[in-house]
Amino acid sequence: MSPEVSRLLEAMEAEGYVADPAIATAVHLSREMRRPLLIEGDAGVGKTEIAKVLSRLLATELIRLQCYEGLDVSTALYEWNYQRQLLRLRLAEQEGKAAGEIEDLIFGRDYLLERPLLRAITRHEGPPVLLIDEIDRADEGFEAFLLEVLSDFQVTIPELGTLTAEHVPHVILTSNRTREIGDALRRRCLYLYIEHPTVEKEVRVLRARVPEASERLAEEIARFMHALRERRLSRAPGVAETIDWARALLTLHSDHLDLETVEHTLGCILKDGNDLREIRERGRGELTALLAAARDLEETAAATG
Amino acid sequence: MSHVARFARALRERGVDVTLADEADALSALTLVDLADRSEARRALACALKIRPRDREVFDALFHRWWSLRRGTAGPPQAPRQKRAATRPAPRQAAKPVPIGRAGEQEGPLAVPEGGRQPGYSPDATLRKKAFDECSPADLAAMERLLARLALRLATRPSRRRVPTRGAGEPDLRRSFRGAVATGGELLHLARRRRPTELPRLVVLCDTSGSMDPHARFLLSFLMALRRVARGSEVFAFNTALVRLTPLLRMGLAPGRGLARADLALAMALDRLAGAVPDWSGGTRIAECLTEFVERYLDELVTPKTVVIIASDGLDRGDLESLPSAMGAIHRRARRVLWLNPLAGDSRYEPTARAMAAALPYVDRLLPAHNLESLERLLPLLAA
Repeated sequence: MSPEVSRLLEAMEAEGYVADPAIATAVHLSREMRRPLLIEGDAGVGKTEIAKVLSRLLATELIRLQCYEGLDVSTALYEWNYQRQLLRLRLAEQEGKAAGEIEDLIFGRDYLLERPLLRAITRHEGPPVLLIDEIDRADEGFEAFLLEVLSDFQVTIPELGTLTAEHVPHVILTSNRTREIGDALRRRCLYLYIEHPTVEKEVRVLRARVPEASERLAEEIARFMHALRERRLSRAPGVAETIDWARALLTLHSDHLDLETVEHTLGCILKDGNDLREIRERGRGELTALLAAARDLEETAAATG
Repeated sequence: MSHVARFARALRERGVDVTLADEADALSALTLVDLADRSEARRALACALKIRPRDREVFDALFHRWWSLRRGTAGPPQAPRQKRAATRPAPRQAAKPVPIGRAGEQEGPLAVPEGGRQPGYSPDATLRKKAFDECSPADLAAMERLLARLALRLATRPSRRRVPTRGAGEPDLRRSFRGAVATGGELLHLARRRRPTELPRLVVLCDTSGSMDPHARFLLSFLMALRRVARGSEVFAFNTALVRLTPLLRMGLAPGRGLARADLALAMALDRLAGAVPDWSGGTRIAECLTEFVERYLDELVTPKTVVIIASDGLDRGDLESLPSAMGAIHRRARRVLWLNPLAGDSRYEPTARAMAAALPYVDRLLPAHNLESLERLLPLLAA
């Protein structure tokens, strides 16, 4: 492993993010090649967290653009402050200013409301981390617009002219894959797909994020989750759910998994009505099997180790 | 570094779309990592070549082989690695092409049974009611033109974005105010904006097994015509295996190219499908194919805006155990699930075929698809 990647890996862990070499390599490449990083993966595998950790590592501002259906330029880029403009206009009229003069006045930077993309481009104090979250929720038209911004890092405002980025921001885009991201945008970025974590990685995440949990509990939870994800679920639980669950179990003062506790807290990890119903319908046998999977490995490990 | 170029070409040959720009990215990425670390090089390549999860298996296997070959020039070749690479299943590589028509037919791979009409005779009205399996090759061209016209009348729904409009719509403050500057701040004209209509996204799964043979060609023609209108739609064919036709169909749809080119693409697609499945007339494995679709493509291609169309007669001899869960998954995620069944054109038809009966609870509408008229009735249901 190259020293830069392993350093990055350690630094991310020190910030409380349990990365793996694939994640560290992708972040390293994206920084060195100055290219946006498109991160895909199921909900709750820690995509957004990467941007947060990166901004902490670089000690810079995190600018977040949350995407949704119908997101448009006035929410993502800029908007004029109409109310202020209107007031200024009335005032200027009373002062008897000429039309051209008024126009220059009210279409100045003071009357511009910066939205996340413009903020990321115009930031003076060094490059920020720009997180474009859940890009798959925005319309395809917005994707095309974004492509333009991410290619040149400049924005043209008709009344003001073209603004070019002083510092190219570190861009991270995330997608839950509710639709396929267009080829052009994907090619503009580097690409990382995050899988659900392995048991070892999940144990490390739990140890880092929920230090109060005992080693044994963390391992049992991780194995249980691993076995659960093997079942056909319409929405497999992510690491975020694992952490929630561990915290819930600690609140209930459980230091190990047992059938009753699991039954009562299943809602922490299965957040889809159908999945929950299906696992419940399959009955205690199913949960017992999952619990056995969580313990069995442990005993084998104890026997060999 | 011609290795990267060759590696990229090998990926393309296996159906992974990798462009020249990606190759350039891969080259710069490789200069930034430790090349002696094989897994780091692999991770960097996957990142720079933008390998999606569905292509990951092909990528990993190829990387394995590529790397061990490269090593092989310097040291002894690593037999186990090569062996693993060689046993990789390669469904995308068509082996020997098998014509998709009925065995023994002379009219070519896409022939339909003779109907006996004179060329140019059939007026639209007759054609529209004519069953697909009674059509002569002469009817074909006329019918395809009709299909294309039909597809243009595709239903649409309003988008959530807003665009400027001259007519009615909600006030657009921004443009209104910009206009008002010229008149000293008086709003003489109120600009308006409204939601444009949005084209639907379709995902189509078309059964091309032996029993669907007379219909498959028409359905695929229709679906291709739909793709001209509803861009971004996806077409799959299945019989005993599932094949994604979209990349093949795209070739035939480039502007300026006539129907002949599209026909060629379709013929190629069908040949390829036949080639990939040696036992093509052996029947359908609907359950397996739909399960594969759910596992590999559902997340990416089907959104709450997508209408999923399955075209099949439901005659299946395979194992149906996994059908309800696959259909359930599709139904939960899609906006609507439509099932086109050529047999349903018969008024005596009842959905009793095993696969059809098993899938029915998860189908929003079961529609006949035996002639043009029935396809026409499909259009209003396709609204996104």
